[in-house]
Amino acid sequence: MTVKTRYFAVCSLLVLVVGLGSGLVAYYGAIPTGALASRGGPDELRYIPADAAVVAYANVRQVMASELRQHFRQAAPGQETGQHELQAQTGINIETDIDHVVASLEGTSPGGNGPSAGLVLASGTFDEVKIEALMRDHGAQVVQYKDKRIIVAPTPTPTDLPDSNIPNPEKFSKPTEFALSFLKPGLVALGTSTLIRRAIDLENGGDNVTTNADLMNLVSSLDSGNAWAVGRFDALRGTGKLPDGMSQLPPIVWFSVTGQISDGISAVIRAETTNDEAAKNLRDVVQGFVALARLQAGSKPDLQALIQSLQISGSGKTVALSFSVPGRLVDLMAPVGGQLRNRQAAH
Amino acid sequence: MTNPRSLVSSSARIFDLSLGQMLWSRRSVFLGVLLGGPVVLAAAIRIVTATTALWRFSINGARVGGPALFGMIMWLLYIRFIIPVLGVFYGTALIADEVEDKTITYLFTRPVRRGAVLIGKYLAYLVCTILLVLPSVIVVFFLVVPLGGGSIGASFPILLEDLGMLMVGLVAYGAIFAWVGARLRRPLVIGLVFTFGWEPTVLLFPGYLKRLTVAYYLQALVPHAMPDDSAVSVLMQLFREVPPVGLSLASLAVIAGLALWLAARAVEQREYVIDQ
Repeated sequence: MTVKTRYFAVCSLLVLVVGLGSGLVAYYGAIPTGALASRGGPDELRYIPADAAVVAYANVRQVMASELRQHFRQAAPGQETGQHELQAQTGINIETDIDHVVASLEGTSPGGNGPSAGLVLASGTFDEVKIEALMRDHGAQVVQYKDKRIIVAPTPTPTDLPDSNIPNPEKFSKPTEFALSFLKPGLVALGTSTLIRRAIDLENGGDNVTTNADLMNLVSSLDSGNAWAVGRFDALRGTGKLPDGMSQLPPIVWFSVTGQISDGISAVIRAETTNDEAAKNLRDVVQGFVALARLQAGSKPDLQALIQSLQISGSGKTVALSFSVPGRLVDLMAPVGGQLRNRQAAH
Repeated sequence: MTNPRSLVSSSARIFDLSLGQMLWSRRSVFLGVLLGGPVVLAAAIRIVTATTALWRFSINGARVGGPALFGMIMWLLYIRFIIPVLGVFYGTALIADEVEDKTITYLFTRPVRRGAVLIGKYLAYLVCTILLVLPSVIVVFFLVVPLGGGSIGASFPILLEDLGMLMVGLVAYGAIFAWVGARLRRPLVIGLVFTFGWEPTVLLFPGYLKRLTVAYYLQALVPHAMPDDSAVSVLMQLFREVPPVGLSLASLAVIAGLALWLAARAVEQREYVIDQ
């Protein structure tokens, strides 16, 4: 072997050793939970209990100001019922008062029937006195818990509804009260009083979601976007509210969704399975569906941009599906919005 | 009559002689360009991302993160192109080049077994390509994976799987084309037809024919999702069967071992006629 060849081999091996060594250090260095817990995710995560099944974030100001939102409002006006309800009950205007929200869903309900109650932490500008006064006018009561005031308002239960003989699937999962508390200036918690009490307990430290290494790993690995959600898929599956076909999917442990909402939606859905084999199977299932959708898209040119944007990726235990919904596709939803409005009017 | 040296020591001697020749040959310029392509591409993506803060890599409007982009580079450049091409160009040339250069006589007149010539050259091919391919993959990995918040640490096990899979691919393709080169008269043409004609075509259709390819077993070892880059990929995904990893590894080992044995046998038995 000549000197030149020897030098080449040494240089090549050096790149290999340095690369693999650095990767190894990064691999073992990334495992401690403390480092991960401190990075990524909004500050409000410290109010969310560690056993939360789903955690979500939305930059409300960006989403509300987005072209897509404006487009959607024009295409399907009158779809802001929930928004109006919240404003009527609390005086909080989602469009103008809230900057961003962090929401969580409990792992299991007290009866063990899957996720039951959610907590929403909204940051923004709120007139605390006005909100409390309005809620009291609507029959809410104020409860003192530690140094915080929790405003508890009863919500109409299914049995209070005029036609209570109609079976209501939400009868057993809908919370019977709605509570609100200002955790600090500019931060309001909305949910059940039990969850708000837990959030107040966690304010000064404790077993919050930032100590959940698996979930925080997901949060820190999310792509940047103005809305995201991460959670345990098995907890959602336990609720029995997922479509039947979902139960035949390979076992998914975690999922995450990240989206950038501007003039359209650009999103990435990720799923983490129990093992590499399950991920391969899931990739095959999704790839099969995407392939079929592509073949079908030929007859529906309007959907081609969406179908062509579908990209499956992922490695190891991860499966990811990226897609982009152009703003003009919202126009396709306009007839749907019209049909919905007609149906509501008929009822 | 001299006693032929043992196969191992003879092969080692041929390997030592061939590695330098292979590394500093004109073919290595081609190899450098081939392997420099992904590195340049990755560096360009990294530079554009770093200089344009708002720029995000996207395909048809859908944003793609660093690990996903690395997976695509692995599939489209390394697995579907670079590894088979290296196998074809280097594997078929192991013996064919010596015949073409009319230097095979010098090797065959040495007191070594003829089969050792092929095995030594095959080992030189493996070392030469592995020393070039693996560093290239590592550089691409470190350039691309951190994009879009990707984690080097979290993706590191995947890199190890990729490196292992590429080595297995080089072993299998190299052995097959070494046999083709030792056995046939126009090995390069046949190699290219096999790689870019037979393999992609057979993989498109359901049935057993795909088991007569290297790609069928190699693609089962790829830890990344197959990208949907073309209509061919869409069809491929529809009819895709993924054999278990154990079966794939065993099959590739059998293919490589058998091809190498057949190649050594062909060199031992064939009379090479040198054109004057």
